[in-house]
Amino acid sequence: MDFKITDEQELMLDNLREFCAREITEERIQKWYKDRRVEPEVCKAYLDAGFGYLFLPEEYGGIPSDAVTLALVVEELMRCTGATMSFMSYGLAMFDLAEFGSPEQVKMGMEAYQKTGEQCFSLALSEPGAGSDNMSMTATVHWNDDGTCVLNGTKTMVSHAETAPFIMFIGKDEDPSHDNKSMSMFLIPKDAEGVKMAPLHKIGQTITNFDEIYFDNVVVPQDMLLGKKGEGFKQLMKNFELERIMLAAHSLGLAQAALEDAARYAAQRMTFGKPLYMHQLIQEKLTDMETTVQNMRNLLYKTAWEFDQGMSVRLDSALCKRYLSSMCTKVASDAMQIFGGIGYTTECRIGRIWEDCRGDSFAGGTEEIMVHIAGRQVVKKYAADLL
Amino acid sequence: MNIAVMVKVLPDDQDIVVTADRKLDASKAKPVVSTYDLNAIEAAALLAADTGAATTAIVAGPASVDDSKTKKNILSRGIDALAMAADDALADMDARQTAQALAAMVNQADGIDLVICGDGSADLYAQQVDVQLAEALGWPSLNGVTAITAGDGTVTVERVLENERETVTLPLPAVLSVSPDIAVPRIAGMKDILAAGKKPVTMYAAGDLGELAPAAVEVIDVSAPEPAARKKELFDAAQDGELDAFVAALKGAL
Repeated sequence: MDFKITDEQELMLDNLREFCAREITEERIQKWYKDRRVEPEVCKAYLDAGFGYLFLPEEYGGIPSDAVTLALVVEELMRCTGATMSFMSYGLAMFDLAEFGSPEQVKMGMEAYQKTGEQCFSLALSEPGAGSDNMSMTATVHWNDDGTCVLNGTKTMVSHAETAPFIMFIGKDEDPSHDNKSMSMFLIPKDAEGVKMAPLHKIGQTITNFDEIYFDNVVVPQDMLLGKKGEGFKQLMKNFELERIMLAAHSLGLAQAALEDAARYAAQRMTFGKPLYMHQLIQEKLTDMETTVQNMRNLLYKTAWEFDQGMSVRLDSALCKRYLSSMCTKVASDAMQIFGGIGYTTECRIGRIWEDCRGDSFAGGTEEIMVHIAGRQVVKKYAADLL
Repeated sequence: MNIAVMVKVLPDDQDIVVTADRKLDASKAKPVVSTYDLNAIEAAALLAADTGAATTAIVAGPASVDDSKTKKNILSRGIDALAMAADDALADMDARQTAQALAAMVNQADGIDLVICGDGSADLYAQQVDVQLAEALGWPSLNGVTAITAGDGTVTVERVLENERETVTLPLPAVLSVSPDIAVPRIAGMKDILAAGKKPVTMYAAGDLGELAPAAVEVIDVSAPEPAARKKELFDAAQDGELDAFVAALKGAL
């Protein structure tokens, strides 16, 4: 068993730490959380340093990579900043577009991405009546004979909607009924006629804007179709496992930041005549937090390594996503407890970390959906002969 | 033009442990590039980007400097090639010996027009190697350089002096040492990091550099300062006589 990372990965992390030290101050982070976006020049600097090119095809300037490297970058970015750096996922979004888009669509997306460093599209998938239960979506695509389509429906919880110039829309072909599995995806400009949006205000991760989008008879040319007609959902599912690994790395980085903050506070804060960490109840908390974070790390990197070996991670990516998203909230909560009352104020960043961790229980598939995926896989793993 | 940049690789000071007898234990310290040499590397890389010059980094030190991550770190910063002498016979060299070893490597690199050094090493900061290297090579030298522009067989450099900015043109070949504010070291891009491992590296042994002069400096001892408890003396300037007491305390401490 080898836990060593390569020279290149070490250098990359050194440079990432330097990038964070130069570009990301706590003052700027707080401004970005209020503004619901990271300043584009910082997104651009992150892209130009190469981190935003991981996984993208080389013909678009991309850098061949693997899931372990991606997880290392995301974990360290969150650990260094104690914040949800929304640009962590922009490259992976472009990876999706590069997989399914026509050469013209990919070129258009890459030009937008390289211009600002910001994600070039928002993903309009969830609906007010269809979150985890995507098959219940009622947004529709009507195919006209004149070479156009008409898009209708309401999408919600759309990240990056205000900043991305394009929207990746998915709707059911013609028939909104539950049993219709034919869905198509489109890449349309945000300012297309008939598109309106309204902000949703989260309690955490507010650094990423989040909106409801209304599609009211939006007429688009059929060549805005992304990928194959009727196979939109299958396309979307294809990279979910890699996305879960990235989100788990986000959880781990935040948990690590919370743990480090708590340990440093416990080393300095004096209570009852001695440092806080000299009290056994605090020592127990720190010990349990460290054990949890090490478990999180082991599960994440084992899963990422399996992904890189071409092994199936259907089970492990679901376990990983569920375990890390729930545990990061626990670690952040324990860290806040160590801080005491000051941790429940905006005077220190632990409250923000806790709020952001809580959001990981929903982002990219709820913990319950992960159980839905993993539970059946566990039975297949141990009792396939009985099924 | 061919530019050579001199780089010292030394133990990461964050990993150096002070032992019970106040000695410095660097045995577990990772090798890193001396901080000021990162500015020199950046200055060389920027000048090369402007002029199309080729760049070579030159390193001489004990066997521990032969570290694959450190080599890739240097080569990911806009440097084309690396020449490295890594031999325990080159450990603990003084400034003159270092200058002689580097001069031998500059001469063997063949065709070097310009040598760029950092402001000083991050451990000893003697600021001697640049001038002694120039002496060993027989080339003109300037230190404290804040800007470099290449000309036809010359370089024009700026130096910020106490009350004025000096502009000097030197014939090539020449040795320059650059001020830390000449250029902010880059954050190496991912592609540069991945490409670094494929760039040429020439390794030398101590024997390849000719015989070095005996050390001119004898190091008797290197020890950490005696730990002293903070006195935490507070003086209230609003009270009569407290300022005098403060001055007296300062004089006593000095």
